[in-house]
This record gives sequence, C-alpha cells and structure tokens, in this order.
Amino acid sequence: MSSPITSLGSIGSIGSLPKLPQLQPAPTEGGFSGVLSNVLQQVNQLNSGAEQQIGSMLTGGKADVSSVMIAVEKADVAFQLMMQVRNKIVSAYQDIEKMQF
Amino acid sequence: MSTTPLLPTLENYLKLTVTREQAISANMANVDTPGYHTHDIDFQGELNRAMSSTLNQTEDDGVTAQLTPVIREVPGLMERADGNNVNLDREGILMSETQLQYQIGVQLVKHQFHQMLSAINGGGQ
Amino acid sequence: MNLFDSLTVSGSALAAERQRSEIVASNLANAETTHTDTGGPYRRKEVVFQAPGGSGFRLALASTGHLMGPEPGSVQISEVVDDPTPPVMRYEPNHPDADKDGFVAYPAINPVMEMVDLMSSVRSYQLNASAVAAAKQMIQQSIDILKS
Repeated sequence: MSSPITSLGSIGSIGSLPKLPQLQPAPTEGGFSGVLSNVLQQVNQLNSGAEQQIGSMLTGGKADVSSVMIAVEKADVAFQLMMQVRNKIVSAYQDIEKMQF
Repeated sequence: MSTTPLLPTLENYLKLTVTREQAISANMANVDTPGYHTHDIDFQGELNRAMSSTLNQTEDDGVTAQLTPVIREVPGLMERADGNNVNLDREGILMSETQLQYQIGVQLVKHQFHQMLSAINGGGQ
Repeated sequence: MNLFDSLTVSGSALAAERQRSEIVASNLANAETTHTDTGGPYRRKEVVFQAPGGSGFRLALASTGHLMGPEPGSVQISEVVDDPTPPVMRYEPNHPDADKDGFVAYPAINPVMEMVDLMSSVRSYQLNASAVAAAKQMIQQSIDILKS
C-alpha cells in the first residue's frame, strides 16, 4: 500500500524542524545554513520591532507598557529558540563528521 | 552585536527619573515651609534633548551624553496663605509614577545585558 | 489613554475632592460668622467641578503626546461660587452687628447638608485612592512580565 509508505517517508527528514507560530523552517534544499539564516532574520525583525516600541514608549510617554513588555518577551523567546536551533545544528553536524565510512 | 543605541537612551532615562524623584522628595519635605514653591523637571523635554544629542555623537560609542537637567518651578499651582504651593496629592501621584518608570527602565536594561550574555554563553549551556 | 494617564486622572480627582472638603470645612467653621471683611455675613461657598473639554482637537493633541495642561478625563475645580441664598435674619437687638430693625444676618448654612457633602467627598477620595492603587498594581505586574 502506498499511503503508509509515503507517509513514512515524509517524517523525520533532518531539514524539517517543529513548527512554531512565528518561525518557519526553510525547505530542505537550503540545508543547515538556510534554516539558520531564515530563523536569524525573523529574530532580528522581532528584536528591532521591540526596540522601536521601547523607543517610542520612552520618548512619547504614551505607549502601552504591557504591549511593550510582551514584544520584548517575544523577541527574547525567539532569540533563545534560535540559540537552541543553532546548537542542535552544530551538534548534528559534528555527529555527521564523526561518521566514518 | 554592538551596543544597541537603546542603552544610552535607557541610561539617560534612569538618570532623569532619579533627578525627578529627588525633586519630588524635596517638595514633600517642604510641604510646611512658608514661601516654598514646587520644583520639577520637564521630563519629556529633557529626554528628547538627551536623545537628540546622543544621535549627534557618531564616533563616541559607549559614552553617554552629559545630562544636566534643569529644575524649574511649576506654574499654575494654587498658593496657600503662607505662600507655600505644594500639593501633596500631586506629589504623591508623581512619586508613584516616577518609581514605576524607574523600575521599567531597570528591567529593560537588565534585559539588554541578559540577552547579550546569553549570546556570549552560547545559548545558556 | 494608558495606565500612567489613569494615574494622573485619579490624582486630579484626589486634589479636587481635597479642595472640596476644605471648602466644606470652611463653611462649617463659619456657620455663625456675622461679620466679614467685605461687610455682611459669611456667604456659603460652593465648588464647581469641571471636566476639561474633550473637543476633537484636544483629543488629537493628546494622542500625539504633546498635550499641555489637564488631560481629557480628568477633573478640576473651575470656580468657587458664593451661594446666592439670602442670609437668615434673626431678631437680636443687642448684637453689635444688628441693623436698624434689630435683625442680625446669619449665613444660611445647614450643618446637615454640609456633613453630607463632607461624607460624600471623603468617600470619593477613598474610591479614587483605590483606583490609584489598582492602576499602580497593574503597571507593576506588567513590569513583572520581564522579571523571570
């Protein structure tokens, strides 16, 4: 039967990472560097957005404190996730290096 | 990851908050002094001034602008019979506000350094 | 309008209620005053609360953060007016302030009314102080988001 076999083939590929609401992995053709750079870009975006909100709150004085805090936390969580992704990729690469044929 | 331009702004913000807190404490202490007028700083104006002078510094990374906030009298407050125009309600509210602003500033500064440190330490391992 | 603005608004209410209670206390203290600097008996004073105008231009200015003066939503005492009620005349021919018919003009102050005003002013002060505490707590908790 084709359906269980094809469904088996679609799981467990190295390039596909668990999906989180904001970070989406690049297709497998990009490889490790593609995934990492994609995630990096999104983290950068979140970070600069949070910094902007902080800046406008300090100068204008009329911004919503809670939304600024939440934006900062979001950026922080995305950053931590990116660090873990990087670590996993590095250790996966080292595992592959150790393989001897 | 260079020092974000946010850090000098936050430093100035904290300094201004501290100066304002000192002015408010002086006002509260002098609530019974005849002829004493309420003092305050123009928070937003001083902050904008400090931020624009920080932007004009191009090469001095890590040196924050020297800030000397101007303490002036507050117009438009009602004077009592002895010439004192300190309004305790206003001072109390402003003190709470200033304390909260200080806490916000401290938390944001902590967060900036925390992020840099976790990047240096490689993801908290 | 953010949480810091609600602090300022409640603060304006506290100041207005305090002024109102001062006026009531002055009325109570001068309930029997027949002779003032301006001649005639003490006139009962009343306060007029006013919310500063919420015209469209003001609201737009407030949203840019450059609003000077009282916030929309706050309260201030616009004026202290004299009560136009005519004074109470009592027949006391031996009183130094008696007029030619022997009547003395006393201020038309009803202590019961003043006490009710005072109690309502105290209650409003309490409620606004609770509002201030609540706003402070909310700001504090939103700062705690970053703490852990």
